[in-house]
Amino acid sequence: MGLLSIIRKIKRKEKEMRILMVGLDNSGKTTIVMKINGEDTSVISPTLGFNIKTISYQKYTLNIWDVGGQKTIRSYWRNYFEQTDGLVWVVDSSDLRRLNDCKYELDNLLKEERLSGASLLIFANKQDIQGSLSPDEIAKVLNLEAMDKSRHWKIVGCSAYTGEGLLEGFDWLVQDIASRIYMLD
Amino acid sequence: MEENDQPSAQDPVADAVERKHAAMLERLSNRHQSRLSGKTDPNSETSFQSTQLFLSQFSQSKLSIESQLSRIRKQPDPTHKPDLEAISLEISALEKLVAENSYFLPPYEVRTCLNTVAHLKQSLDEVTSLVIPKKKFSFKNKPTKKNPTVAAQKDAIILGEPEKELNVGSEKIGFRDLSTAPGFRDREKDVLVKEFSINELEGGQNGEFTLSKLRDCEVRLKGRLRALFMDKLMNCKVYVGAVTGSVLIEGAEGCVFVLASHQIRIHNAKNCDFYLRVRSRPIIEDSCGVRFAPYCLSYRGIEKDLTEANLGEETGNWANVDDFRWLRAVQSPNWSLLPESERIGMVDVSNVGNSD
Repeated sequence: MGLLSIIRKIKRKEKEMRILMVGLDNSGKTTIVMKINGEDTSVISPTLGFNIKTISYQKYTLNIWDVGGQKTIRSYWRNYFEQTDGLVWVVDSSDLRRLNDCKYELDNLLKEERLSGASLLIFANKQDIQGSLSPDEIAKVLNLEAMDKSRHWKIVGCSAYTGEGLLEGFDWLVQDIASRIYMLD
Repeated sequence: MEENDQPSAQDPVADAVERKHAAMLERLSNRHQSRLSGKTDPNSETSFQSTQLFLSQFSQSKLSIESQLSRIRKQPDPTHKPDLEAISLEISALEKLVAENSYFLPPYEVRTCLNTVAHLKQSLDEVTSLVIPKKKFSFKNKPTKKNPTVAAQKDAIILGEPEKELNVGSEKIGFRDLSTAPGFRDREKDVLVKEFSINELEGGQNGEFTLSKLRDCEVRLKGRLRALFMDKLMNCKVYVGAVTGSVLIEGAEGCVFVLASHQIRIHNAKNCDFYLRVRSRPIIEDSCGVRFAPYCLSYRGIEKDLTEANLGEETGNWANVDDFRWLRAVQSPNWSLLPESERIGMVDVSNVGNSD
């Protein structure tokens, strides 16, 4: 135990990240947040408004803003854009019919200047449901390759139901943000 | 050991002090030894070494990036485009390296390294604009483009964009035809029955199910399923066993739904009655004239299906409806509870093919 390690500890305490979870309704945003926080996911009502969860993840503190995805309240998403370090876009991979809506909303979101610096994690959720599209297929439908080159992004297949893939996604997001943000101090 | 040295010391506090003292003496003598042998403390040594190590690694990759950049600068040529991307990756790797090591680096080094990275980025941008003329709007007059094909391609991409957006629908069908997903579609005046057996569920056969564009139909889905999507239903009766995930309804008119599910979302419904058992609060959006009542379905084995889907108990949530179009304290005019006198009785769908 030296002074150095104490200083390191204090520095780590400050490592906060602001993460915004968005996506169409019924994509599983709240379930993902609850699951990753180790809470019961069996009773989750569609989100009216938003939830904030603060969780410590590795050596960072994540402030996760989980915003409702119903059509009526999508226009309020922009109230949450400020100071977002990481953007998580959740896709219901089993809802083939609304993939166009999904692409449209994502494209709109990425035009937003306040989000231009944010790392983008796309969760292809509900992989446990038979007949859902694979992450590769989702990436093609959403035309992710055509995204601005400067954007840091990754698509990860997951299931909020089983928990599979969630940590992989968040690991990437946190690492990516960490390597960016700490350049700014 | 200490107890052997001082068997008389009974007080644990004194004991601890004694031990600390001994440890301190040992550390001091260690430090003294290391000073004598011309070495620094082992702890600071590791940090020092890794700073050195880091700096040498940093300057190495910096040099390599710089040399690559100057090579390309001498010969600006569109064929270098992949090289530039590689360099950009290298620079971000370098940036990451600094970030990862910023904990132990002296602040001066961190600052210098950051500056260096910024410079590298800047010169990369310069070189990039030499190799590939910028697409950005500007008043600069560039009479001759270095490579017309690249420019043309870019234009083509931009022109092609809206078209691409339109294509998404057909692209998607290229992956997997929507109509091959399990479901009932485009039917009229029909009785549609589907039984989801447990085996299917365990075998993973049983996922989502779709009801789309049905008119004057009666639908019976027995057993358990993961997710149910419904759209454009007219004057239908829909009886469903247990849905372990969510139900999404988009566009329904004059229908009766009897559903048990973990989540229920109702969009664009008009004059429909819902008999629900639901673990969370059902929601409506852009709907009007929708009425709610408790679940009332029976068939042989429904209790087992409901219990195993965690829907065995009545939660009373069928009456806790959230209207996303009515965010006020007073009751939404868009929905109401169905008066008991108007409710349908228990619906028994045990006998397949028996209509009503």
